[in-house]
Amino acid sequence: MPYEFDEILETIRMTEVEHFDIRTVTLGISLRDCSDRNIQTAKQRVYDKIMKYGRNHVKYAKEIEARYGISIANKRVSITPVSIPFDGFGVDELIQIAETLDRAADEIGIDYIAGYSALVQKGMTFGEANLIKSIPYALSKTKHLCSSVNIASTKAGINMDAVNMMADAIKQTAEITKDKDSIGCAKLVVFANAVEDNPFVAGAFHGVTEPEVVLNVGISGPGVVLEAIREAGRVDLQTLADVIKKTIFKITRAGELIGKKVAEKHGIPYGIVDISLAPTPAEGDSIADILMAMGVEDVGAPGTTAALAMLNDSVKKAGLMASTSVGGMSGAFIPVSEDMGMIRAAEKGNLSLEKLEAMTAVCSVGLDMIAIPGDTPASTIAGIIADESAIGIINDKTTAVRIIPAYGKKEGEYVDYGGLLGKAPIMSVRKLSSANFVGRGGRIPAPMRSLTN
Amino acid sequence: MKFTEEDLRRITMIAISELGEKASPELVKKVVSKTVEGFEGGKQFSSGNEKASGRVILTAFGLNKPGIIAALTKALGESECDIQDLSQKIMSDFFTVIMVVDISGSNKELRDLQDSMNRVAEDLKIKVFIQHEDVFRFMHRI
Repeated sequence: MPYEFDEILETIRMTEVEHFDIRTVTLGISLRDCSDRNIQTAKQRVYDKIMKYGRNHVKYAKEIEARYGISIANKRVSITPVSIPFDGFGVDELIQIAETLDRAADEIGIDYIAGYSALVQKGMTFGEANLIKSIPYALSKTKHLCSSVNIASTKAGINMDAVNMMADAIKQTAEITKDKDSIGCAKLVVFANAVEDNPFVAGAFHGVTEPEVVLNVGISGPGVVLEAIREAGRVDLQTLADVIKKTIFKITRAGELIGKKVAEKHGIPYGIVDISLAPTPAEGDSIADILMAMGVEDVGAPGTTAALAMLNDSVKKAGLMASTSVGGMSGAFIPVSEDMGMIRAAEKGNLSLEKLEAMTAVCSVGLDMIAIPGDTPASTIAGIIADESAIGIINDKTTAVRIIPAYGKKEGEYVDYGGLLGKAPIMSVRKLSSANFVGRGGRIPAPMRSLTN
Repeated sequence: MKFTEEDLRRITMIAISELGEKASPELVKKVVSKTVEGFEGGKQFSSGNEKASGRVILTAFGLNKPGIIAALTKALGESECDIQDLSQKIMSDFFTVIMVVDISGSNKELRDLQDSMNRVAEDLKIKVFIQHEDVFRFMHRI
């Protein structure tokens, strides 16, 4: 037999028992050739372009799913940041573009289309300012659209004017979508050092240096890593790192295979595999459970940050060896609402916003899917975004804030979206004011890259 | 299967060098279009250097009882699948069967084969998984 009995059983166990799946195959489509002065023409071009490349996206992915017996949880599309081709449009026209994107997404049968975005880390054009203003309306009028705005980078610093605008946009989105637990905020990400090939929604967009069309893959598999760690038992940390690496190596290989095959079916270039560990609200598919299996009593205990750092680093090391092209976020995601273990830790009060912030310094993204009281002032949200961005630009990594100031709700209540977005307990936020700091506006200068102590 | 311009150029260059002195524009054109058609007629072109094999791994689990291998192999035989390797283990009341099956000569698509094996699995109250060999090769072989 060309494969060992155990190897085959291991693969079957991963796919059938431990929730190993390909989290997303994301089709990146450039919309740069869709600009036009006339809004009707622009809308038609956008629609046609998405239909042209995306029409068979779901069908092809399903065929590959059946052939390899590995499920692909989500089929998605990312597009050029909308502010780039449509810089000349006002708020109303941009909202029309958003609705067109939503209609196209519906037509091709995907759950999310991402890239209602702007890159404003240094400054913004009128079009970009319009886009930020339009975000709350665009998100409230659409079902499938996701938005992200990059407001800081290591090379440019932090654009505090943009931070303040985004804090307002988040508050406004929460209010406009209050009937559905402020769900708009779950589809809005504020980035520092955003990556251009991220396949994971809500923060995905098709960067300006990307080709016409490309297929990126995001793998998942916290359940597989969890089982491997449990099976390893009481070993020292080097051995444990090795166990994690071996597991990630295998699932990345599977991701690489699936990505190549879906791209081949489309007849388009295969881009990258994002080796992130992305949890789902399903029991056992949790990053928090992995950290606990590593030995901390609960997420939030001293040692959590170190455990997460080791996990994240092992994921990267193994993934890099396994794939010809690694990109995107590539690390461990720690969203609160999408991870049963994180939800439990937040409910018990073991996990605070401050500890989460520390953890984001070593994880792949940032403060993700965190619900806070609806009466949190915009200046406090701006302060949180500024803190998170500072971690990003100083450490030369991507950080993000996807925060939900749940309109009309208080600490101890919940926002509940069901499905992949999950359910989040509303966490407490410090009452101290950041208004005088963030209100200064301007830009926090780019950090220096030497004397890094 | 789509070819990029680069692919076509490469195929043309190979054709010219292989034809040597006999190469004339018409002959080269004929050879190249034949090659391209050959690829379009079923053969897959993979983006890496890995060639897709026509083999699948069939794994079956369940409570042991007589007739399981018979039922599985009968269904495979009817679909004109060639069993290339078979291994089984019994642990107390449970069995595990793993087969390497070549389906390139089969009259069925993989999905249809999966459906018919699922019917067998339901009748016998066992679990049957069919996955393409590439998954195992990618995950367990460097």
